[in-house]
Amino acid sequence: MSIIRYEQTQGKSLGFYALIAGLGAFVLAALGSVYFMEHNGHHVTGMSNHIVWGLPHVFALFLIVAASGALNIASIASVFNKKIYKPLSRLSGLVALALLAGGLMVLVLDLGRPDRLIVAMTEYNFESIFAWNIILYNGFFLIVGVYLWMMFERRMNKYSRKVGIAAFTWRLILTTGTGSIFGFLVARQAYDAVIMAPMFVVMSFAFGLAFFVLVLMASYKWTERPLGDAIINRLSNLLGVFVAAVMYFVAVYHLGNLYLAENSGVENFILMDGGIYTQLFWYGQIILGGLLPLALLYSPATKGNRSMLGLASVLIILGGIAQLYVIIIGGQAYPMELFPGKEILEGYGTIAAYTPTLAELMLGLGGIAVALIAITYLVKFLPFLPESLADNVADPHHKN
Amino acid sequence: MSRLLIVFLSVLLSSVFVQADHHIPNLGEKATEFKDDGEEAHKREGMSHAASLILQRKMHPELLLHKRDKTLRQGVRGGYVQLKKCVECHTSVDESGEFIPVNAPDQFCSTCHQKVGTSLDCFSCHRTTPAEEM
Amino acid sequence: MKELNRREFIKSTTVATAGVATVASGISLTTFAAEPKETDPVTNEKRWGMLIDTNKLTETDIDDMVNACQEEQGWGEETHSNADQKPSWIKKVKVKDTATQRISNLALMCQHCEEPPCVDVCPTNASMKREDGIVLVDRHLCIGCRYCMMACPYDARSFVHEELTNQKEHMPRGKGTVESCTMCVHKVDKGEQPACVEALNGDAVIFGDLLDPTSNIHQTLKRVQSTQIRADLNLNTGVRYSGI
Repeated sequence: MSIIRYEQTQGKSLGFYALIAGLGAFVLAALGSVYFMEHNGHHVTGMSNHIVWGLPHVFALFLIVAASGALNIASIASVFNKKIYKPLSRLSGLVALALLAGGLMVLVLDLGRPDRLIVAMTEYNFESIFAWNIILYNGFFLIVGVYLWMMFERRMNKYSRKVGIAAFTWRLILTTGTGSIFGFLVARQAYDAVIMAPMFVVMSFAFGLAFFVLVLMASYKWTERPLGDAIINRLSNLLGVFVAAVMYFVAVYHLGNLYLAENSGVENFILMDGGIYTQLFWYGQIILGGLLPLALLYSPATKGNRSMLGLASVLIILGGIAQLYVIIIGGQAYPMELFPGKEILEGYGTIAAYTPTLAELMLGLGGIAVALIAITYLVKFLPFLPESLADNVADPHHKN
Repeated sequence: MSRLLIVFLSVLLSSVFVQADHHIPNLGEKATEFKDDGEEAHKREGMSHAASLILQRKMHPELLLHKRDKTLRQGVRGGYVQLKKCVECHTSVDESGEFIPVNAPDQFCSTCHQKVGTSLDCFSCHRTTPAEEM
Repeated sequence: MKELNRREFIKSTTVATAGVATVASGISLTTFAAEPKETDPVTNEKRWGMLIDTNKLTETDIDDMVNACQEEQGWGEETHSNADQKPSWIKKVKVKDTATQRISNLALMCQHCEEPPCVDVCPTNASMKREDGIVLVDRHLCIGCRYCMMACPYDARSFVHEELTNQKEHMPRGKGTVESCTMCVHKVDKGEQPACVEALNGDAVIFGDLLDPTSNIHQTLKRVQSTQIRADLNLNTGVRYSGI
């Protein structure tokens, strides 16, 4: 494997500016939506006292979960010493930070009082997993920032392994914390399961890598730099493994819930008679986000085909959004069991209705746009991308 | 060089006139009555420990914040430091006899807050006029 | 020195005494004037609770309770919010026992738990429990994240979905923050009872100090069967129900 040369992208073509402009339009739309929602109050959204977290939170949590997973590539290189991933480390750190920034932006802008963000950063309740998450997210920016510095600055390269281990540990704790936001809620049948924490960690592997693959392929295609099959095949296999792992955790989670009689209500709801939630679960999460990508990644007919890899990544992302929609909104829609053994006739107990509004969708999409704009700009300003990832350059086992 | 000096001095002098703006705040209905009766600010019965006017202007956020935590978190009620008591005296009345919200433009709070440029968050939740049953 | 005449003496002494008496009484009047003294902080010597007897509670009673709460605390007039978005500090719940077909009506509000999940999860300490057991939202710190609403096992909390005006003087509330039943803490601190309790005539709902062995509620709880809603969560609620 020869010396890797990193080079900034040109960033002067029409395509570049068109991309920035397009993403910028989405960001502006998101800001407009935020003004609309904050000025009028949340009555203009589909959220209510029963569905308190809606589409913005689906996107925000998706981006945050994907952010920690995007750091995987850098971690595999630094922590597990897999040399083939080393050239990708810088981009991995960048994608991680960008996705987290986008996700946090959406989360913060949906607060009832976003002007009180300073309060959230200064008044801490250390019993609250939410407060811990705020610390973990801020720390993630710091640690990955330092990690990138170690990778960029030649004199610091010798420290990058240690910082890489710290970053890896931090992001595991962070994603466990994100899963625990739900896993620690005893009140609701859908959430009272500690397995949600490791499930979120594994979800982060899949979603983060899917994003990373799309960013990698797009940036190399659009800057006309070579991207060899060695890396593509490795990433493709890894993605397949992660998707399979997610399916395993989902299976364990649901089977566990089904076994417990007290949670059979919400399981029937999600798996069978929940309307939109059941459809999203089976068609969105399992088929589109799980089985179809696995087929595309491993079937001999499509294995190795880059367009299929891209398609699989897009499907994994869509499936991931569906999965979070089912978890977050489906979990809230199903009523709590206030009176076991009794039927509530009036006052509570119906499936809560939720219709997302355009403003919420634009805010969510704006988060993705912010992440992508950050990546697009920063690869121009700093040398994140290797000049070439052709096999003879990147593959440590390449036979010349 | 001398031209520069002239410009500099005239800018300096004109700033003095900016400061000499003796804008009296719109004190509100009741407060203006008390003032016209010759009472000293905040020296009414029940306010015997009130801070001086200058201190009030500077410290009213701290005074209110401190008391609000005592009231809300510890249940300490009474005393003169209550936002609703400020509203009682410092709201104005319009032509039809209705109270004008105390945080409206050119009312008591805004006459200073507009000038100083600090935000006023209290009245998104707190009542802006005295309660009817007075 | 002027020669002191008896008439003069009586006149001047009377005037002087009258003057002193007036001034003196004037001084004492101002010192005795009602300066609203500050009360002491509440302690955990008391724990406020409620006992709701669903056997004695009629549907009209519960409607009266809801109306009283709305009147007292100023909610219910939110015009822009839809039915799911309107605040509901207290609501009527009708429950049927599937085995016996018996129907009970009860009023459900914040249960003022001893181990409130909402307090545990609030990132800014806005959701808090006072020393005397009343659970409140410090709206000054609330950032409107709604995590407490996710965590509450009783669906007790509401989010303010629109701009509000004409709030009650003692109950500031505003857009973008979370709110719930305060057990009329502003009345309780004056020695009164919550508005919903005062709205009823009989003893369908009893309010009092759970820790005081002489209180009505303490003695009734010793005598009659009562339960907490979702008792398995071990939250030790301050609001208890009998008859369900």
